Amino acid sequence: MFMIFWLVGLGILALLASIIYYNRFVTLENRIGNSLSQIDVQLRKRADLVPNLINSVKGYAKHEKGIMKEVTEARKAFMGAKTMEQKVEKGAELQHALKSILAIAENYPQLKANENFLHLQQELAAIEDKVAYARQHYNDSILGYNNLCKKFPGVMFASIYGKSAKKYLEIPQEARAVPKVEF
Amino acid sequence: MERISFDDQIQRNKIKSFLLIVIIFAFFIVLGYIVSMILDPSYFFIIMIFATIFSLVYVVAGYYKSDKIALASVKAKPASRTEHRMLYHAAEGMAISSGLPMPKLYVMESEEINAFASGRDPKHSVICFTTGALKKLDKQELEGVMAHEMSHIANYDIRFMTLTAVLIGMVSIIAQVFLRSLWFSGGRNREGKEQAILMVVGIVFAILAPIATQLISFAISRKREYAADASGVKFTRYPQGLANALKKIKNESVSSLDKEHRVSKAMAPLFISDPFKRKVRGLFSTHPPIDDRIRKLEVM
Repeated sequence: MFMIFWLVGLGILALLASIIYYNRFVTLENRIGNSLSQIDVQLRKRADLVPNLINSVKGYAKHEKGIMKEVTEARKAFMGAKTMEQKVEKGAELQHALKSILAIAENYPQLKANENFLHLQQELAAIEDKVAYARQHYNDSILGYNNLCKKFPGVMFASIYGKSAKKYLEIPQEARAVPKVEF
Repeated sequence: MERISFDDQIQRNKIKSFLLIVIIFAFFIVLGYIVSMILDPSYFFIIMIFATIFSLVYVVAGYYKSDKIALASVKAKPASRTEHRMLYHAAEGMAISSGLPMPKLYVMESEEINAFASGRDPKHSVICFTTGALKKLDKQELEGVMAHEMSHIANYDIRFMTLTAVLIGMVSIIAQVFLRSLWFSGGRNREGKEQAILMVVGIVFAILAPIATQLISFAISRKREYAADASGVKFTRYPQGLANALKKIKNESVSSLDKEHRVSKAMAPLFISDPFKRKVRGLFSTHPPIDDRIRKLEVM
């Protein structure tokens, strides 16, 4: 008789634990999904600024066709990217191309003084920060999730629910250097 | 394990906030009881009904309108996206890195560098910066302060601290009323031991209550500032930003608190640095010594 009580008690405990852990997995997965979409939003915003930037640069620096073409193509490549990994990679390339277009502005004092251009420059710098923060939050979310997957007793429930540790977002090497934008 | 202790703190803050609401509620009931006993026991029920209704209204208003009350008391205006672009960039960046919803942004007129957060939960949160802070802080410093305020929001400090501000305000007002009414009504009613005891209890209560709530809230507030500094750095990954902002605050001229924009004492624990710039440290300070905070940030 006494044994039955114990077994029922243990059964209820195990059930409760499995519910709690299931919900934790779902919460953390949602957090990861959400932070990933934040990265996407910011990358897209940056790509949306490109035509504007090209237009304001065109008026002052007609001879820099090569660089402008490079940026336009990088944008096109980004827009065509399907998976998140591709988007991050193409986004980094676009970022690299933008860096050079902002650098040539140094040679054109009128362009540098243009209000529209200044505004775009600030926006791009802010977006760059936000991309970095979004990436940081994404990796933090992955860390929380992986900790849950690998620590005891989470590791038990992870194998029951078929969850496994996820990969961190790799930053392409060249994107690590933050573009220098002087105000 | 840090994650868990963070969640623990949030849970504790929610429980404390709930307890505080219960305390505020109970306070009015007890007060109503004491008042009715001293004045005239035959009014007991009427006074108790009034006390209950009043405390309910007070608690509900304090809970749902606390951010509006706080903003109105410092005459803050909503920040504009074009005029305060830096502020919006900082807030958006920190909202992304903390995973919190974007708070509503406000600006208050004041030359000194300061900021506070308020609201009842992350979805209903506000952050207010002084115009002085927007003028004097650079981007990294602004982000550091923003991250500090955001972590107050993430930790549910805002709910507890705003409720505490409401409680302190209330206790001091009532204690004043109570003490004054005793001067006038004293001695006219029934004589006797019972009344004398009640009066003594009433007076002691009226004197001690504000002091006690003040001390509690200050002690809590000091611990919270360190915690918010630390978790703010988790959002920016750049302790130097906040450290530099605190240095600028420290080096400001002490007399910069202008008369026309006086901050209520009850609001002081909400700010990132003590708006009264009190020199005295110890039990009565709302904020830990700024040098100590800078030191802790610099070794992170």
